[in-house]
Amino acid sequence: MKDDVAAKPGFSVRQRRRQQASRLIHYALIQALIVIACIFVLRQSPPEPSSEYLVTEFSLKEGGAEHPVTLPHFTASRFSMNDPPLYTGRFQWPNSEAQRAWSVFLPRFSNGVEVAVNGVVILDSRRDPAANRPDRNAPEIAVIPASLLRDGLNNLTIRLLVWGPLTGFLDRVYVGPDEMLRPCYEQRTLLFVTLPVVFSAWQAILAVILTIMWVMRRHEPAYGVLAAAMALGVAQAFLPTAVEQSQYSRLNGILIASAPIESGFVLAFALLLFGWKWPRYGLLIFAPGLLLVAVGLIGDQTLIRESFLFLGVPTVGLYLVLLALIVAQSVLKRQDVASFIFGCAVTIVLTCWIHDLLSVLQITPDRRIFVTRLSYSAMLVAIGAGLTWRFARALNQVDSFAGRLVTQVRQAEDKLKASFAREEERARAAALALERTRLMRDLHDGLGGQLVSIVALSERGNAGAPIGEAARAALKDLRLVIDSMDDIGGDLMLALGSWRERAMAQLRPHDIALDWHALTPQGLPVHPELRPWHVIQIVRLLDEALTNAVKHADARRITVSIETLTDASGVDYGRITVEDNGRGFAIAPDDPAAAPGPKAARGLRNMRSRAARCGAELELVSGAGGTRVRLKLPRRFPDSDAAAG
Amino acid sequence: MTLLNDERPSQAITILLVEDDAPTSWRLQDALAKAGFQVTAAATLAEARACLAQSSPRVLLTDLQLPDGHGVDLIRETRERFPDTEIMVISILGDEESVISAITVGATGYLLKDAFPTDIAATVHELVAGHSPISASIARFIVRRTQNNPEPPPGPPLNTAKLTPREIDILWGIAKGFSYAEIAGHLGLSRQTVPGHIKNIYRKLEVHTRGEAVFEALQQGLIRL
Repeated sequence: MKDDVAAKPGFSVRQRRRQQASRLIHYALIQALIVIACIFVLRQSPPEPSSEYLVTEFSLKEGGAEHPVTLPHFTASRFSMNDPPLYTGRFQWPNSEAQRAWSVFLPRFSNGVEVAVNGVVILDSRRDPAANRPDRNAPEIAVIPASLLRDGLNNLTIRLLVWGPLTGFLDRVYVGPDEMLRPCYEQRTLLFVTLPVVFSAWQAILAVILTIMWVMRRHEPAYGVLAAAMALGVAQAFLPTAVEQSQYSRLNGILIASAPIESGFVLAFALLLFGWKWPRYGLLIFAPGLLLVAVGLIGDQTLIRESFLFLGVPTVGLYLVLLALIVAQSVLKRQDVASFIFGCAVTIVLTCWIHDLLSVLQITPDRRIFVTRLSYSAMLVAIGAGLTWRFARALNQVDSFAGRLVTQVRQAEDKLKASFAREEERARAAALALERTRLMRDLHDGLGGQLVSIVALSERGNAGAPIGEAARAALKDLRLVIDSMDDIGGDLMLALGSWRERAMAQLRPHDIALDWHALTPQGLPVHPELRPWHVIQIVRLLDEALTNAVKHADARRITVSIETLTDASGVDYGRITVEDNGRGFAIAPDDPAAAPGPKAARGLRNMRSRAARCGAELELVSGAGGTRVRLKLPRRFPDSDAAAG
Repeated sequence: MTLLNDERPSQAITILLVEDDAPTSWRLQDALAKAGFQVTAAATLAEARACLAQSSPRVLLTDLQLPDGHGVDLIRETRERFPDTEIMVISILGDEESVISAITVGATGYLLKDAFPTDIAATVHELVAGHSPISASIARFIVRRTQNNPEPPPGPPLNTAKLTPREIDILWGIAKGFSYAEIAGHLGLSRQTVPGHIKNIYRKLEVHTRGEAVFEALQQGLIRL
């Protein structure tokens, strides 16, 4: 969509506007349909008994004057606890009805009634807390004691007790057999008394859940605000309403202030939920409600009533309208189900509020059935549904995010594996190439030179010993190279074992004894890092020591000692010593003139170089009693053949 | 290894030498004849079989790569027909695998082609005396197969299950270059018993007869009667 705007701004803006307009019209049409449906539902009158038991003709005595009225009737008075309007009427009771209980049924009145039959009071609605709430349409029913009834006409007097802020109202009265009237009474009680209690209970649960959500997610204050609204609603529903002029009237005043505060909370909730920036003077939303609380605390009845009528009711209406606008904007912007349901609920509440207002102002002729509280509960249902929907969607998003993450991780893993395999393959190829190079060099160093010398000897026609000796040396070297290729698992002893066999075979014709001493049972420490080229260097070094002893020192006995020693830091290291009892020679590699001979000197240089390449220390001691070559193995063999020249 | 006295009588010892490379054959014949052995030489598998048809030698000394077949077949046949004949493989360097293959069909020793003449005679003498020679590299080859590797090392399959821990210890000692005396000292054995252990090792590595193969298959549950 954004790309479209960038590409064709004019067209897109126009198109978007058209789209928005069509959406708005759609939404408005749906809301209008809802309003019509609401009006239709509200015009349905609540259950009423058969009209044959109707008593409508009354004589009203009010403020000293007496005049006939027809029920339903609105009184002018808003407060008349001391001198209530008195309705007097008559009803027919035939003696034949004595077998059946008769009742008086008052479907709707405000605020309280005291009913008397033939001068005896049979009902006082002020004892019923539910009936004392003007915002609930509580009905009343009372069985007339049979002893009170007279054959023929009976007197029915109704005292209408009115306390602010509404004017008095008395709906049509039914007098008839209890069995005919009670079903309607029960239905009305269910609808107007029980249902609000159920809703209030629901509200209480939602308040707890939302409070927990808010406590766990402090960065979402919307939940906290809604929880406050619900808690206030619950308190309002369950606190007893005061009837008499007492200290409770102050409480009463505070209670009527609850509606503006509740609506303020709901408005604040909507602002926060739909991501509006919190207005600078946002707290002013609660100003009318708090003002009403203050008035309720200190003002008198008139002031409370006036302020509620001129401040409280319009505030509720204003907030409902604002709520409807905010939700409508959100519906247009977000196009989500939650906003839409919320919007429909707000429309229903607003319609009901207008209906109640018109009823209070006596603009529409009706039976003063208040439905705002009930529809407010409908809105709570919508909010509950919306929040559940939001929660479920959030869970789905988390799931799909986790799923995507798993897929991505798997892909990355596969890629990594592939690249690792490539890298491993490359490393193996490199290692193989290195090994091949080393093998070629080893073969060339030993075998190559010896074969060349064999060729040279045979071309000179020198038969016999020198050729055989050179060929034997070549074979020995080949055996060493092949032997070093074998995996010995880092145990140099295994390589030395083969070397011992070759050395014995080499010394046997010269009649030189080889003493082999493994001074420690395990021989040498195991070096996992030991590579074939280390083995070759060490074995060649030992071979050279042996060759020196045989050829130059003229020794009769050679002793090889193998041992494991522990250095100062507690680390084991191996030491191999080759000693002979030959002539010995002067060791002065820096001074060639003093060297025993060019060949031997080269041998010594080679030995030092081989030791250095393996990181080993070579110690040469030579004297009249013989020569001692001592090789101190490193704690760790070097990885690379850095010293190779 | 101690060298045996060359002067001992060896006239009765007959050797069938099977080697196709003429100079090597001459060299071995010379070395053995000088030590007093009675040597019959054959250059091919067919010739060797012809000789075997006439008489059973005390020792069979054979190369493995022959012009008309493999020495392993000859070893197997000889082992089945003449259980008393000692069989040696003529080995070149670095071919422990071939030696092991020969051992599994019944060879009890090996001889290096380039060994000094005195060593050649001494090795045959020792074998006849009941001492199988074994090199450090062959011992190493066997013990590596006794270790429980997830990936078996390359080479011919070898059943080392029958080897006792003591025999494996002896093989380790040989692989590390210890002498029989040193091994005996480490393991608390008599020096004289070590060659017998080695002979046992050879015998245990051999997959003897068809009957034994059936028995092993039964043991492993491969066939059911």
